[in-house]
Amino acid sequence: MNRGNALSPRLPGNIAEENLPPAGTAASIVWRRFRHHPGAVAGSIVLGVMLLAVLLAPLSPYDPEASDMAARLEPPSLQHPMGTDALGRDLLTRALYGGRISLSVGFLVMGITLVIGVPVGAVAGFFGGRIDDVLMRITDAALSMPALLVLILLGALLREVDLPLFGRSSVLTVAVVIGSLSWMTVARLVRASYLTIREMDFITAARCVGATDFRIMARHILPNAVGPIIVEATLEIGYAIMEESGLSFLGFGVQPPTPSWGNLLSDAQEHLTRHPWLAIFPGMMIFLAIISVNYIGDGMRDAFDPFKVLRKVGEV
Amino acid sequence: MVRYLARRLLQLIPLLFLLSIGLFALVNLAPGGPLASLGGSRHVNPERAERLRRQLGLDKPIALQYVFWLIGNDWTKVDVDGDGVAESAGARLGILRGDFGISFRTRQPVLTEILQRLPNTAYLMTATLIVVGLIAVPIGVFSAVKQYSWFDLVATTVSFAGQAIPEFWLGLILILVFYVWLQNPITGEPLLPSGGMHSLGIGFSLGDWIKHLILPVAMGAVGWVAWYSRFLRAGMLDVINQDYIRTARAKGLTERKVLYRHALRNALIPLLTIFALDLPYVFAGSLYVELIFSWPGMGRLYYQAAVQRDYPLLMAVLIIAAATTAICNLLADLGYAVLDPRITYE
Amino acid sequence: MRRRGTRRAAWLLALVALALAVSGCGQAEPAVEETQIVITVPDDPPSFNGLVTDAGFDSLIMELVLLSLTDIDPHGEIFAELAADLPSPENGDVVYDEETGAMDVTWRLRQDVAWADGEPVTADDVIFTWEAISSPEGGIWVQGSDYIDSLEKIDDYTFVVHYSSVFPGYLTQFGGDQVVIWPEHYCDASQGFVAWDCNRQPLSDGPYILEEWEAGDHLSFVRNPSYFEAGKPAIDRIIVRIIPEPAVRRAMLSEGDSDLDIWLPESSASELSTDPNVVVSIAPTSRWVFRLIPNLVARGTADPGGPPHPALSDVQVRRAMRLAIDVDTIMNDVFLGYGVPVWTEFYRPPYICEIPRPDYDPAAAAALLEDAGWSDTDGDGVRECHGCSTADEGHPLSFELATYGEYGPELELAHQLIGEMLGAVGMDTELRVIEGAVMWADAASGGTEQNGNFDLDMYDDGYPGVDPTDHLWFYYYSAAAEPDAGFNVGRWINPDFDALLDEAYTLDEAHRQEVFCQMAAILDEELPQILLFTAISAEAHSIRLQGIESSASDMATWNAADWTLAE
Repeated sequence: MNRGNALSPRLPGNIAEENLPPAGTAASIVWRRFRHHPGAVAGSIVLGVMLLAVLLAPLSPYDPEASDMAARLEPPSLQHPMGTDALGRDLLTRALYGGRISLSVGFLVMGITLVIGVPVGAVAGFFGGRIDDVLMRITDAALSMPALLVLILLGALLREVDLPLFGRSSVLTVAVVIGSLSWMTVARLVRASYLTIREMDFITAARCVGATDFRIMARHILPNAVGPIIVEATLEIGYAIMEESGLSFLGFGVQPPTPSWGNLLSDAQEHLTRHPWLAIFPGMMIFLAIISVNYIGDGMRDAFDPFKVLRKVGEV
Repeated sequence: MVRYLARRLLQLIPLLFLLSIGLFALVNLAPGGPLASLGGSRHVNPERAERLRRQLGLDKPIALQYVFWLIGNDWTKVDVDGDGVAESAGARLGILRGDFGISFRTRQPVLTEILQRLPNTAYLMTATLIVVGLIAVPIGVFSAVKQYSWFDLVATTVSFAGQAIPEFWLGLILILVFYVWLQNPITGEPLLPSGGMHSLGIGFSLGDWIKHLILPVAMGAVGWVAWYSRFLRAGMLDVINQDYIRTARAKGLTERKVLYRHALRNALIPLLTIFALDLPYVFAGSLYVELIFSWPGMGRLYYQAAVQRDYPLLMAVLIIAAATTAICNLLADLGYAVLDPRITYE
Repeated sequence: MRRRGTRRAAWLLALVALALAVSGCGQAEPAVEETQIVITVPDDPPSFNGLVTDAGFDSLIMELVLLSLTDIDPHGEIFAELAADLPSPENGDVVYDEETGAMDVTWRLRQDVAWADGEPVTADDVIFTWEAISSPEGGIWVQGSDYIDSLEKIDDYTFVVHYSSVFPGYLTQFGGDQVVIWPEHYCDASQGFVAWDCNRQPLSDGPYILEEWEAGDHLSFVRNPSYFEAGKPAIDRIIVRIIPEPAVRRAMLSEGDSDLDIWLPESSASELSTDPNVVVSIAPTSRWVFRLIPNLVARGTADPGGPPHPALSDVQVRRAMRLAIDVDTIMNDVFLGYGVPVWTEFYRPPYICEIPRPDYDPAAAAALLEDAGWSDTDGDGVRECHGCSTADEGHPLSFELATYGEYGPELELAHQLIGEMLGAVGMDTELRVIEGAVMWADAASGGTEQNGNFDLDMYDDGYPGVDPTDHLWFYYYSAAAEPDAGFNVGRWINPDFDALLDEAYTLDEAHRQEVFCQMAAILDEELPQILLFTAISAEAHSIRLQGIESSASDMATWNAADWTLAE
């Protein structure tokens, strides 16, 4: 009898055949559900378009850094769809280049969050006991930090520092700074998953067969815990973009002349009242990026939720 | 339970201690020092710099500076007159005795500066949280009760939008619309004020204070309303579909009673714990709101201190914020235990 | 259920109505005929003591409430404030002893100035102020500190300053934008000059009295009825509001909610000059000169005797740099014409030296570099050393060009343009933007300049007031090249210049002028710094506010007593 899988369990008994959830591999089920979530689809399209646009930024006829003082502060027009800034630079071009930076920071932070959070949570959840205590204390300590305040301080600290490997790239340092205080939620999630899954029978079976701890953590538990991790990681991207914009707006993030959406907003302040488009467009870009990511994350959450379909079926 | 509480509270102490060391190192390691911002010309005159360093206590090694910060220096002698000989007793009591130090910039006690600003931030944040509660709870409840109705769809979309709007951008737009573009049709003046807590020179006026609250609260509330209403909706949905709700309905209770006395109460539990985690904001405030709307609060104080490397002020705000956050995290955990009888800690 | 809902709605409505009604009530007009202006500043003034924190905003409010012996007007002329007249060698108030080198300056004070509590301003206050400033425990260094032996009171309104050696800046010893006279009977000396309560709650003898200070929000001042100048000030109340957001400050000015916004950047000056409600006031000269500061010693060391910088220690290279930079274009296009070209430190009255203006001639620059042994043999656009005198064979002519970030996009752009212009003649520049606090910090705090961790720095600086002597000492004197001893971070050592600067400590104005111009010639020849042009020095104010005169030497409130409101 087809018992389905963890995401789509088939229950015995009294549910009529046609109301049972469709069968398939876990991945295909996730994908199918995701496709049917209108927000997630829309978000994916918008984000996809954005990524494409910023990748194609070098195709712009304008140089994001070269000034043209004769064309300062022009309102949006055909030649300059987003207008020009105080130095005559095309805002659309700068916004696209800025998007590269802001989106890069977003993805980098997601990466850092996973790289730190998953191992921490996995080790804590799997081994339990003293290790779990210590790791959770560290996590708690990190959670006790007032995030924005410490980020500002870290931003100031690392702004002028020559990091090994990174040189003075403010993009990487900003990502590291934000990432250093964003891994805790993922760690906790992973830990919770590992705590639950390690008690399951198939893990005991794996142990009997002689699998090492590492193998169990990586090859057996992790694939089953992956759902919430992916959802949270996706949402992290949006969070990171928001933080980076804020830090750059305050002057503690990405440093000029490297453009980022937050930088562009900061530059726009001086001329806000007469030339509001300088602020409106970068803000819209941030908004679109984050809302798309959030919808994608929501779609993923629904797609990974094993109980969602059941609930709809019979108002159980 | 009490033992658990006691254990957690005791664990707070080494946590805060370690945090204070970490934060102190962070603050002092940032390159550049307070002296660079104490100069009208680009460079600080070296004699002036030397004297200032001594007066600010920066001529000591960092470890010693930390010790002085923690327990003061009135038990030892310091060199006050710059002749290289330590002859007078220090004047600091250290943070453990309640002395948060003297601000480098203003030479005022740090505690004074904080206490001057704290009520303003608390006032703004409390108003914001009240507004958030008043708006988010009904929206969340209604969305859940009328799931998939047009109201729900609009509310959900709006809440997604609200969570994606950068707060500082919203503030700039609000200023643009309500101060620069829109005029009060009667007086011709800008519709809403550009900032500050109240107008000057007209005495106390409740309406004036409220007018000054509108935009800053709006700026801060949008994100929160979006987040809380979604959270509450999810919580309500979870609860509504539980068996005991069906039982309550079967018992013949009115829908209203079912909703408010049973469902909402239970749905509010996770919300309250989230709220407890957000409580530290009442203290540290929203930096962006205070910067854009010229609100004389804690967030702005911290920001200026960061730019000018005002170490004592930075440390004070950080450690108080960290302590508040740690305590609120504990409260959130406890909240679950207290409000949900199914959970016990030992 | 519906009933309860309606009742609740009714309560809510009533509350709103009440609030609106009350808001109507509260706006009773204050006492009639009271005139008031609003000044906006981006940051909290740390105190009233401009000497201690030197942030600008402190001097801004200090000028409103306290007086100094003398002050400087926008044209560089020194005028007497608390002093009855200006001491000079001519009127016998300045006596210079040739043999001992000592100098005595006799000051006579006005006798009609009183503190707001009625006490007269006397020589006791001056002496008290000086002792507080020079106290080793609670005081601070100020120009002239090293030369003053003592102050001697002659009578209530006369005192003598005994200098151990000539100090040409004696006229602004107790004046300018930082030093004011503090009341002896009110300030508590035991608290120390830098920390006394006076700094937050001063006693006024100036045109205004502090009424209230709501931390972080605003300060309000009312006119001082016993101000010594009859009929002044004209404006009854001044409110200083702290508005961090530049967009809001500009908007308030346009909307008429504020009357004065200080320290305008070029782009805002240009924009506001088209606003019918706003007047942009520009100072006749600017203190801030943009300059390139080369490190003449190899990067990474702060020792003036260290190995020479491979690229920048060659004076031909520096001369070529100057020839390669098109100052006019940068000034007019980037800084919107709000500056004047400057090529010598002596461009402001009273010391103006005739130095020929350098050309903009990239071809000559290239030729000079070729001559100096820098040529591009591998065709990559960057010259290498082939027979140059300061570097190894093949060493590329490349270095880092750093500037500070806080100025704004104009400096950013100028920075890039200069990099391009230098690149056009074969110099490879790596651009870097650094935080000012780090660039100018002392050696122990990691300051890049004091530690010698730079190649070519670019920023604006200049001396306040009228006396360049200290500025010259700190930037060019040999002793100032030691780490933390001064700002001679390029480590330029020139004994002739030193000797001339020593000679400038004289009262003989003619001799000073001569000596300064000889120094100008040396600086022009050796180019320890390459001066470019001035930055803007401007304020914006409402059209109804009259009397604002922007000054390079002082904050805009220097003549607040003279302001009036047009009706």
